[in-house]
Amino acid sequence: MTAAVRAIDAGLLACRTCGLVMARRSAPNPRTFCPRCASALLERRPRSAETTLAWLVAGVILYIPANVLPVIYVSGVGGGEESTILGGVLSFWRSGSWDIAVLIFTASVAVPTTKFLALGLLLWTVHRRSNWGRRQRTALYRLVEFIGYWSMLDVVVVALTAALLKFKALGTAEPRLGIVFFCGVVVTTMIAALSFDPRLIWDMGSSDGH
Amino acid sequence: MAALDSPLAASLLGAGTRDLLVCPHCDAVHRAVVLGRHEVAACIACGRVLARHHSLSVDQLLALTVTAALLFMIANSYPLMIIEVGGMHTETTVWGAALLMLHGWAAWPAAVLGVSMFMLPLLQIALLLWVLAFARFGRRAPGFGGLLVLLHRSRPWSMTEVFLLGALVAIVKLSSWVHVTPSIGIWALASLTILLTILSMVEPRFWWTLLQAEA
Repeated sequence: MTAAVRAIDAGLLACRTCGLVMARRSAPNPRTFCPRCASALLERRPRSAETTLAWLVAGVILYIPANVLPVIYVSGVGGGEESTILGGVLSFWRSGSWDIAVLIFTASVAVPTTKFLALGLLLWTVHRRSNWGRRQRTALYRLVEFIGYWSMLDVVVVALTAALLKFKALGTAEPRLGIVFFCGVVVTTMIAALSFDPRLIWDMGSSDGH
Repeated sequence: MAALDSPLAASLLGAGTRDLLVCPHCDAVHRAVVLGRHEVAACIACGRVLARHHSLSVDQLLALTVTAALLFMIANSYPLMIIEVGGMHTETTVWGAALLMLHGWAAWPAAVLGVSMFMLPLLQIALLLWVLAFARFGRRAPGFGGLLVLLHRSRPWSMTEVFLLGALVAIVKLSSWVHVTPSIGIWALASLTILLTILSMVEPRFWWTLLQAEA
């Protein structure tokens, strides 16, 4: 394995906003500020795991109504119909647009579920002070960070459909309550990912007793 | 490939902290080196990209940012797509789609869309223009530090590329019922997405050390 020197052990401190590296003179407190960008200097994000867990739980709870409630109402010549996210995916699949079905399924179902499982796994292993697969777990965190906002896709599609389909006799579309919860899932899970400090993965279970 | 020295404690002691890089994902300390063309420096412990070579000068970055500003104006003043049914037609812009939902409970997702797809990309372009326009004449822009912090903090919430994909999905979805014509707005949005991606690949360290050598 690599034997990297860690800033916390070398008496160094890096600003989390601008990356400036400084020698740590004493334990930093929230009143110490970065000389370059004036952000508060902290060794680790305070209460990172607790904050992440709170936002993650909020996201999981919101995900239930987001899937159960309809997200859009479309009316046409043959009458109106409300549909949920999964209902929309299924109707695309049945109508032969399998590519769009896969895209919406990925953005609205696979991405949020992956985020829940990945953040849950990261929190659990950090809590257990595990030193298993640190490099891989850090890569998992980067995946969560990268895929985060793509879930917003369905919100965009619903908004554009509702904005364009406004023909009284021939067809109209309106957003439904499910989309509010779904948008809430995207925002809360993004905050959860941003609250998680991946350095916790490397702080735990190391031989020097951190 | 990785172009960083193995960060041995002994070699670190002699280095000034200005030459050090600390991986934000795992806290490993590295000594910064000058990267050659196409070189990328990755953390030896966790593999995170720490630095990326880019050969764009301030002038070139400013030119890209001015282009992005023009494309942003075009993308938001012309319709993204037009649909026609029996002689009637409707059209929408980025801003229009968010505004239309702005009543009742739908105001919440509308506000998130308005901020992440319109306001924050606009803010990013405006901040880059301001900082680069001053840097062009060898000066630090007023409010430099605070504005760079704002640029850094707002980046995760700026979602132009998601809007582009969403618009394309909406075109395909609607075309099964009605006649949809993609319009100028969508081409401008696609070009804007490419430019914003190039601009966001410039590492934060570049912005913070901008003009520092001369000072």
